[in-house]
Amino acid sequence: MNGDVHERARTLIACGEESPWLAEHLESCAACREFDGGAERTARALRAIPITAGWSLVFATQMRVRQRALELQAQQERLWAIWICCAAVTLIAGFTAAALWSGLAWMGERISLAAPVWQMSFVVFSLLPTIVTAILLLARGTHLADNEEV
Amino acid sequence: MADESAEIAQGLRRRDPDLLDRLIEQYQHRLLRYLVHLTGRRELAEDLFQETWVRVLERGRQYDGRRDFTAWLFTIARNLFIDQQRRRQVPSEDPADPDTAAARQPSALELAMQHEQSERILAGMERLSAEYREALSLRFQEGMSLEEIAGVTGAPLGTVKSRIYRGLSALEPWLKGAGL
Repeated sequence: MNGDVHERARTLIACGEESPWLAEHLESCAACREFDGGAERTARALRAIPITAGWSLVFATQMRVRQRALELQAQQERLWAIWICCAAVTLIAGFTAAALWSGLAWMGERISLAAPVWQMSFVVFSLLPTIVTAILLLARGTHLADNEEV
Repeated sequence: MADESAEIAQGLRRRDPDLLDRLIEQYQHRLLRYLVHLTGRRELAEDLFQETWVRVLERGRQYDGRRDFTAWLFTIARNLFIDQQRRRQVPSEDPADPDTAAARQPSALELAMQHEQSERILAGMERLSAEYREALSLRFQEGMSLEEIAGVTGAPLGTVKSRIYRGLSALEPWLKGAGL
């Protein structure tokens, strides 16, 4: 119990917290008063420790940060270009899909095809580039894997 | 203070290199001092010093200016140190082990000693565990409040208080010269 009182007082001292209870305790406890003085001296000594960064470290850091800033800027610009391409592709794809839909609808009407038939053709035409690209990529991947084994 | 933080946040969002140059110069000693105490090694502290500023540049947009910049900066430095420790899986030296302490090369901390009392305290600090060193350094060298220390270290307020108290208690013999 008594130990708890001293520990409480010393924690308050260490954390720089002031309270009437602590002041009263310090008046009656020589050990905690000594801890108080020691804590103050330690804090002063800690503040007096000279650790400084050299100019070369600061300069090297500034150069490294500037270099990285340039890299990030270049990355950002590339990202913008990708976004613009994506937007353009989406727009063109939208227009193409609308034109293809109208064209197939017109053709279906001209040769008296049932709606599901030309609509299915639309789906096939829409998916065809993706399917062809996927097949080519897969074939290329297989080819590369074969080469790596060699 | 709030204006300054807001200005820093604005500059970091723009990745303004001039602002970063200014911040590096402004915080050079404080950040390095914190890192030296956190790592216990000057070379590692200097590496982390550079890494911290690169990270500040990369993550600058996450700083909203509502928090004190110093605390945010130190949190980044601390997280980098933790990441680095995890990556390297360096077995931690027992600071209380005299064999380990004697086998170590003289550190920059030792070279930096000037005053007799500071010398003794430094010797004591090197033998404290990293979390006590960190708490004492943030409290007495950086003058941070207990709440700010809790923010930087991610420890509860009670733990911060206890670390400062235990750290100071552990330094007591060194202050009296009995620890050497």
